[in-house]
Amino acid sequence: MTGPTPKPLSLRREGDGLRIDWADGTSTFAEWKHLRANCPCAGCLDEKSRPPDPLRVLSVREVEAGPPAPVAMTPVGHYAYQITWTDGHGAGIYTLETLRVLGTSTDSQ
Amino acid sequence: MPPPNMPGMPPKLVLPGVKHVLAVASGKGGVGKSTVAANLAMALQMSGKKVGLMDADIYGPSVPIMFGLGLVDQTKTPFPIERFGLKLMSMGFLVDPTQAVIWRGPKVAQAVAQFLAQCPWGELDVLVIDLPPGTGDAQLTLSQQAPLTGAIIVTTPQDVSLIDARKGVKMFAEVKVPVLGVIENMSYFVGDDGKRYDIFRSGGGKKLAAESGVPLLGELPIDPRVAECGDSGEPIVKKYPESPVAKAYASLANVVVKDLLSVEPEGLPAVVL
Repeated sequence: MTGPTPKPLSLRREGDGLRIDWADGTSTFAEWKHLRANCPCAGCLDEKSRPPDPLRVLSVREVEAGPPAPVAMTPVGHYAYQITWTDGHGAGIYTLETLRVLGTSTDSQ
Repeated sequence: MPPPNMPGMPPKLVLPGVKHVLAVASGKGGVGKSTVAANLAMALQMSGKKVGLMDADIYGPSVPIMFGLGLVDQTKTPFPIERFGLKLMSMGFLVDPTQAVIWRGPKVAQAVAQFLAQCPWGELDVLVIDLPPGTGDAQLTLSQQAPLTGAIIVTTPQDVSLIDARKGVKMFAEVKVPVLGVIENMSYFVGDDGKRYDIFRSGGGKKLAAESGVPLLGELPIDPRVAECGDSGEPIVKKYPESPVAKAYASLANVVVKDLLSVEPEGLPAVVL
């Protein structure tokens, strides 16, 4: 995609992911686990830059959270959304560009 | 994944009585941004609008001196302070001017958010926000939490100013805040001989506006009385309303009002979870 990212017209949960209808007529879908794995916060980016730690112990909250799912997704200014997850993490600010790139262009169900 | 106890985003601030929030910004310091913000706010007020001016420069507040004010007794003074019909808020009302504010970013962001949300601004047509130079914490906090209608970028004509002004334009584009246009300050000087002298070169504002795809809102001439008025606590627009600079600000105020009214609300839709 070239040029500025179009505005989102609507965003909604669809199955195990997020459906976004964009102003240019495109509709994208991204699974929650894909969005969670690509959290753009500084902590997650730093974590991804290191070799995986096979011995890391999950916290009780992370275990209890199960598969990634949002508990809140709120607009940030005019340019992004912040997602708070069931595991308690909520620092990621997903710009419209990021949401567009992480989604796959498909028709809604 | 990192531990889940990361800080979350503070909620978006709501200013129910404020129709438009206008940020006055520049990438570079020393271009006269606070002077432009103060005089533009004054010109808007003199055109009949209800106007507030919030000084978001926490480290180097200028609004108090420009309006003949200073440190006040916080226990007895209601904020915002009214002066010449403008509602004013600044860190300079709270901290002795001889003291430095030595804060890290999160404290700055917190102060800016508090000025916006906890000041009873009341009914305003325009709240002008005088931003500090750069693209840091204050700018990001306002972009994320304040209902900004738009921003104007102040520059001076020379390239060394344009380099940083471009970054200001870029930042507002990234956070999708409409840039209403560029103001070229200290644009030229008219001598006693009536000739125009481009002391700091010419065409910078026009160049920045063209490459950014935004209008050049105005070119403000140099007048030594601007500095004199700033230091004596009465903006030139108020003290010398017939001066060429004051007239330039009056024209600028008219353009800004029209532009603010033409900006479409950019709010994002809520998510249905």
